[in-house]
Formats: sequence, structure tokens, C-alpha cells
Amino acid sequence: MKKRVVAMLLSLTLVAASLAGCGKTTDSGSNAGTQTSTEKKDDGGAAASSSSDETLVVEVYDEAANYQGTQTGWFAKVVKDRFNIELNIIAPQVAGDAVYQTRTATGNLGDIVVLDPTHFSDCVQAGLIKDITAEYANASNLKEFDRQITTYNSGLPGNTDGKIYGIPCEMTNTSPTAFSDDVIYSSPMLRWDLYSGVGAPDIADLDGLLDVIKQIQDANPTNEAGDPAYGFSLWPDWDNNDGMIGIANVVQLTTWYGEKIKGSAILTADDKFVPLTDKNATYYKMLKFLYKANQMGLVDPDSGSQNWDAACAKMSAGQVYTFWYSWQVGFWNTQERLADGKGMIFIPVKDQNYYTTSDSYYGSGRLFGVGSGVEGEKLDRIMKFLDWYASPEGCTFQHNGIEGFNYEIIDGKFSILNDNALMDNLPVPEEYGGAGYSDGNNAINQWIVSAISTNPNTGEPYGNTHWSSWKKATATKTKNEWSARFGVAEPVDWMKANNALLVRPSVSVSLPSDDADITVIRNQVGQEVKDASWRMIFAKSDAEFDSMWDEMVENLNSLGFDQLYKFDVDKYTIELEAMQAAK
Amino acid sequence: MVDMSKKKWRSFREFLYILPFILIVLIFSYYPLYGWVYAFFDYKPPQALTPDKFVGLKWFKYMVENPVKVKQILQVLRNTFAISGLSLLFSWFPMIFAVFLNEIKCVPFKKFVQTVTTIPNFISWVLVFSIAYSVLNSTGVVNTILMNCHLIDRPIDFLKSTEHIYFKQWLWLTWKNAGWAAIMYIAAITGIDEQMIEAAKVDGASRMQIIRHITIPSILPTYFVIVMLNLANFLTNGMEQFYVFQNSFNKDYIQVLDLYVYNLAMGSGGYSLSVAVSILKSIVSIILLTLTNGFSKLVRGEGFI
Repeated sequence: MKKRVVAMLLSLTLVAASLAGCGKTTDSGSNAGTQTSTEKKDDGGAAASSSSDETLVVEVYDEAANYQGTQTGWFAKVVKDRFNIELNIIAPQVAGDAVYQTRTATGNLGDIVVLDPTHFSDCVQAGLIKDITAEYANASNLKEFDRQITTYNSGLPGNTDGKIYGIPCEMTNTSPTAFSDDVIYSSPMLRWDLYSGVGAPDIADLDGLLDVIKQIQDANPTNEAGDPAYGFSLWPDWDNNDGMIGIANVVQLTTWYGEKIKGSAILTADDKFVPLTDKNATYYKMLKFLYKANQMGLVDPDSGSQNWDAACAKMSAGQVYTFWYSWQVGFWNTQERLADGKGMIFIPVKDQNYYTTSDSYYGSGRLFGVGSGVEGEKLDRIMKFLDWYASPEGCTFQHNGIEGFNYEIIDGKFSILNDNALMDNLPVPEEYGGAGYSDGNNAINQWIVSAISTNPNTGEPYGNTHWSSWKKATATKTKNEWSARFGVAEPVDWMKANNALLVRPSVSVSLPSDDADITVIRNQVGQEVKDASWRMIFAKSDAEFDSMWDEMVENLNSLGFDQLYKFDVDKYTIELEAMQAAK
Repeated sequence: MVDMSKKKWRSFREFLYILPFILIVLIFSYYPLYGWVYAFFDYKPPQALTPDKFVGLKWFKYMVENPVKVKQILQVLRNTFAISGLSLLFSWFPMIFAVFLNEIKCVPFKKFVQTVTTIPNFISWVLVFSIAYSVLNSTGVVNTILMNCHLIDRPIDFLKSTEHIYFKQWLWLTWKNAGWAAIMYIAAITGIDEQMIEAAKVDGASRMQIIRHITIPSILPTYFVIVMLNLANFLTNGMEQFYVFQNSFNKDYIQVLDLYVYNLAMGSGGYSLSVAVSILKSIVSIILLTLTNGFSKLVRGEGFI
């Protein structure tokens, strides 16, 4: 008898345990909700303005974050000291996209959300985002961007009475048509010493560029450590991301000829849309360019099977001779290498017309919002945090770090300290929160105010590469020789002087999101284009390259490419018309 | 009367013993079937399902709408069958491995081999791939050795090639699983009556003869049960292995059904279509299970369900 009772108890515990386990995973969101809602209400007076007695845990559902968990380190201390808030980041890039589906199904995405534009407008319509019109009226720092914020919100579908739901990310206080940067997002960049080493020739077109890279690679088949080096090293991780179709690296290269891929359509320099599959358009052209590069032995054979980390390791080790994203130089250009003339820098190709968008005056697309379940005191505190996030003090922390550790102020201007703090994860002094600098960096990884915006306290942009002190410090061999060779101070100056820069104005429009049919078609078309493109880069002959292209186009037609193309043209025509109106 | 109620009480009590397990099965195996409704709607998060989004069999028809889509489905099925077929064909391997392992007389060595072959089972596929990548990339160990021995003059793209890909994937799977799968057979071997083996020895049987006439026949029933369970799971290769090894060059040969469903749904949210595909998978699995059970009845005279 005793034995039976024990057995019964055991099996009951088993069930209880399994049920409890099941409950925990699905209910973590609402747990946090109850925890905060049972918090005792503050008196609501002005005294509670900046911090409150009880620590508030704020869930941030963040599509920009690369880190999931509680914010730690120096940035956690900055936020805690000011607001007594702890940030708990939920990152779909870490947890997987399915977390979006499950969290929206429970009706609570997060207390603060950072979403891509289509997700954001879908969530507004599904009632998951809070109307913050009243709170926004008192947010003085956000109000600085009133024109941008109201323009975005009045464009939201169904928002006829102009309520405020979203705050665009990366807004600037310059102008919608200005271009303030010295470099653009994508342009061909070569090692200055190696380019000079082969005689610094003029480059007329893509074939000329390949010839130069070939000469560089032949002269330097390995890096200094003796590992093989290549003209190009590609990676597939980003393919088909952000609504792009095809290999992300190739999609980026198309901007060298003034064209911009918008889903399945290509927006040409003369404001027309052509299908991605058009043989005369740039996707084919740039794919062929990489195919030729591979024929000449310039493409890293691991491209296509390596991941981003592996590709970055090669950039840092000097195993890659061509860069085309502006951020890539961060993996190579140290002050020392710049001074030795070994920096990576833009090398003009005569027949190119570089595409760029202007300063992201209206924002980059992503949006901040507040979850619809947030009420009362918690809402006040979150709004105060968001307002601070857009303030000069908040922006300085986000873009520049800590005074006395990352920068110092000399005559009212900023000057950099420890410029390798992020790269080498330097230890932060205990008084600022301790731990490594990179570990404690702002894990939200997205800013309301762009780094190109002017800091009212210094009169210079927030981003350190625009400080006069930085320009002075980096005016060394690479930069000086480059300027002497091309007769201008900065890459963008060369593009402007040679009429080779196409600037598309920043606009704020709300674009329709994919319905269920288009979602499936986009996915299947994307996979087909991606797979075929990689095989084409590594094709054995011109004939094989072309037959692969034709087969791909044929398959795409069966997968519903026409329907998708029509949808994308309609969608991006809205954006194009807004751009034309903004000119 | 008293007896009856005592009997009833007893059966009720015995029912209570299994109730927890019935509940677990209901919650984890039947409740999720509710998710099948998504296959009949145009579903897109965050909007909830509403009657106007009901589309009937649209997503089932979508799969076979035109030759290219049919080709895609057939390709995926071919890969699934090839990879499952290969593991079925070699399903005797862990058994033989267990038999030979059992013959090792030096106990420390035996334990060592068993541990070394069991450990890979606990390594995640993501780590297995990073090992594969560092060994097989263009500057990896294998290519470096081959280049230094002047056997090749260009690095071989092992990870991109599609040559013998099913076999190579089977090798990875076996490397990871063989030791683990052998545990069951080792247990079965331990259960063999020592007297039989001793009697055979007295009769002058050699080691190979003992293996052939005693060990293997004794563990064959275990083998058959495992094979049949595998048959029912024929369409389930698991997706992790193929997810980490897939790239644009080998995808046509490596995309199995589970991975296809994942790529469809998680690639960019084709939830309805991927649910429709997995419903079909469940149906085919039930048919396969019934067929093998019928086959078993025919051959052995008894089914296993």
C-alpha cells in the first residue's frame, strides 16, 4: 500500500513538474507584467521625476539588438543612476524570428519595442502599440524632432487623427536633402600602399578595377603572416535579409552604378523600376563582375560557406584586398596603419555613379514605440527614459561613451581617448560601472538621434570621425597621399567634383506590408535567387553562367516573380514619389 | 456488492496511475494538433485568425501548382528518402559495433573506446559544423596537409561540393550517433544467458562462431524493433544537421523535409504553407507506420503496435 502511495505521488509530481516547466516558458512575458503592475503607485508628483524608489525592469523587444538579456556594465549604470531602470533586452536576432510570432500572439511584445517599419505598422493595427500622444506632448527632447515624428505618424495607415505611436530611429537635425558624411555606405576601397605599389593607375571601369586587384594579389599572394589573401572575401549570412532579394554583398555593389535594389525591383538612376532579372540591370552586371573576379582567382574559395565572423577575421588579418562597405575599414584602419600609408581608402572608378541616401533626417526606417500594456507610473518613467535617450546627454553616452574614458573636452570640443575601447573591449574603471567597455555598451544598439546630428554643446556632429580633433589626428600618410593623388580632401568631395554622386533624399512614408501570398513568394524567390547567384559566381564558364541565369529566371517565373515584382513596384512607387516631391 | 465496488475502486486507482501519462500525451501530442488550423488560413502575425482569412485547401494546392514547385517538393522528398534510406541501409552498423566492442577483453581500452564514441552525441550540431569548417575550409587542416604533400595544387572546397554528399552526411551522423546507438545493443548483449556461451565454448565454438550463432541472433529482436521505429520516422531526419551544413551549393541535395519546412516558415514567415507541408508529412508517416506494421505481421506473424 505504501509503495503505491509513493508511486502515485511520484507520478503526480512528474505531471506537476512538466506542467510548471511548460508554463514558465510561455508566461515569462506576463510574469514581468504582473511584477510591475503590483508595484505600488507613486504619488505621481514632480518629485518622482527622475528616479523612483523601486527598480523598474523594462522589457525591450529589440529587432536591432545582437545581445539578449539584462543590460550590464557602464551603460546599465548610466540608466540605473538616472531612472532606476533595468533594461531586459529581447533580441529576435539572437532568439530567432519565431519569438515575434509567439509574443505578438500573447498580446505583449515588450514595454519598449524597436521594430522594422512593416512590423511596426502591423503591430499598431493589431493594437500592440500604445498611443503616446499625451506623453509625447511633454517630451521636450523628442519635440526637437517634431516635424519628423508627426510626419511619420500621420502617414501610418488608419491614423487619421494624427495620434503619436512611433518615434523614428536615427533622425538627424540637419535637413532631408543634405549629405553631411565624408564617405558613403558602399564604394570600392583598396589598400593605399598596395594600390600605390602597382603604380596608382587610373581605373576606367570594372574590368580595369579587376586588373588592378589582380596585380595587387599577384604581387602580394599572402598577408604578412603568410596566410593566403584574396581580392574578395564574401559571406552569405545577410542574404535575403531586410526584404532584399539575392546575395547581400551583390545587392550592395549595385549602388556603384546609381541603382538601388528594392525587393524584386531595381530603382535606376533615372527614376525607373526594372525587374531584378533584367540582364541589362546592375544585379546581373555585378554578379558577372564577381564571376569574372573568381575566374581570375580573386575570390576567396570559402566565400559562400564561411560566416560573417570568419570573413571579419580575414579583414582584420589583412587577407582581403577589396572592401565595399564603409564599416569594413573599422576592421583594418587603425591610426598606426593610416600613418604607415596602409589604410583602406576609396579608389575612384571613372564610369561609376555612386548611390547614397541623404542624411537620415526622417529616420532610417526602424521605430521606437511603447507596448500597449504599459500604464500609469511605468509609462511615465519609460517616456522620461525615451526623452532622455534623444537628449544631448543621452546621445553623447550612446555615440561617444564616457567623459574621461572615451573622450575629453578641450576648449568646448571633444577629443578622443582610448579609441580602441570598443575594438579591444578595454576594462572600464569601477566608478563608471566596471566590466569591459564593449560588454557594457548600449545593447539596444539603435539610436533615436543619428551620429551625424549636430551636438548642440559642441557644434560638431556626435560621431567621432567628424570631430575636428579626429580629422587633425588622422591627416597622416594614407590620407595625405590620397589627397595629393586625387586633388580633394575626402572621398565624397571627389564624387561631388566629378558628378558621380547620386543622393536620394530622406523621406518618411509608410509602405504596405506583404500579405500571406507575397510573403511565401518573396521567400521562395529570394532562396532561388540567392542559391543560383552563388553558383553563378563560381560557374566554370561564360556559357554555364548564362545558362544558370536563364534557368533561374525560368524558375522564378514559375514561383510567381511577376506578381511579386508588380507588388514591389507599387510599393516602392509610393517612396519614389515622396523622394521626387522632396527634391 | 462489496467486492464489486472494491474491484471498481481498484481499477479506478490503477487508472489514476496512468492518468498523468495520458495527460502528458494529450498536452504535448494532441493539443499541438490544434495548430494545424493555420494551414487553412492566410495567417500572418501579429493579426489573429479571423473567419474571413479562411482559404480552405489553398496552401495544399499551392505546393503542386506548377512543374517547378512539384520539382522542388520531389527534390526535397528525394533527399529525405536518400538520407533516411542510407541510415536504414546501414542501421546494422551500431549493432555490429556493439558486438565487437563487447569482444574487447582489455577493460580500460573498451571503456575508452566506448566513451570516445559516445561523447560526440552530446556535441551540438552547431559545434560539429564549426569543427567541420575549421578542418575542411580552404586553409583548414585537410587542405593544408594535402597542399604541403603536393597532392593537390588548389584547395578542395569540401563544404561546397555535392559529391557523395548523402554518404558524407551519413558519416557525420554516424560519427555523432554510433556510440550512443550502441548502448542499447550492449545492454541487450549483457542480457544474453552466460550458460549458452559457456556451453558453446565447451563444444569448441570459436569466437566468431559464438558471435554468429549466439550473440547476433540474441540481439536481433532489439534490432528489429529499432529498425521499425526508425521506419515510422522515415521522413524525420531532424533539421539541425542539414541546417548547419547547408549552403547555396549543396542545398539542392541536402534540403530534407524538416529543413524545407523550417526554411519556409522561418525564412520569412510562410507559416501557413509550412504547416500544410508538415501535415502532409504526418499523413505520410502514418501510412508508412501502418505499412511496416502490416509487413511485420506478414513476415513475423505479429505486429509491433
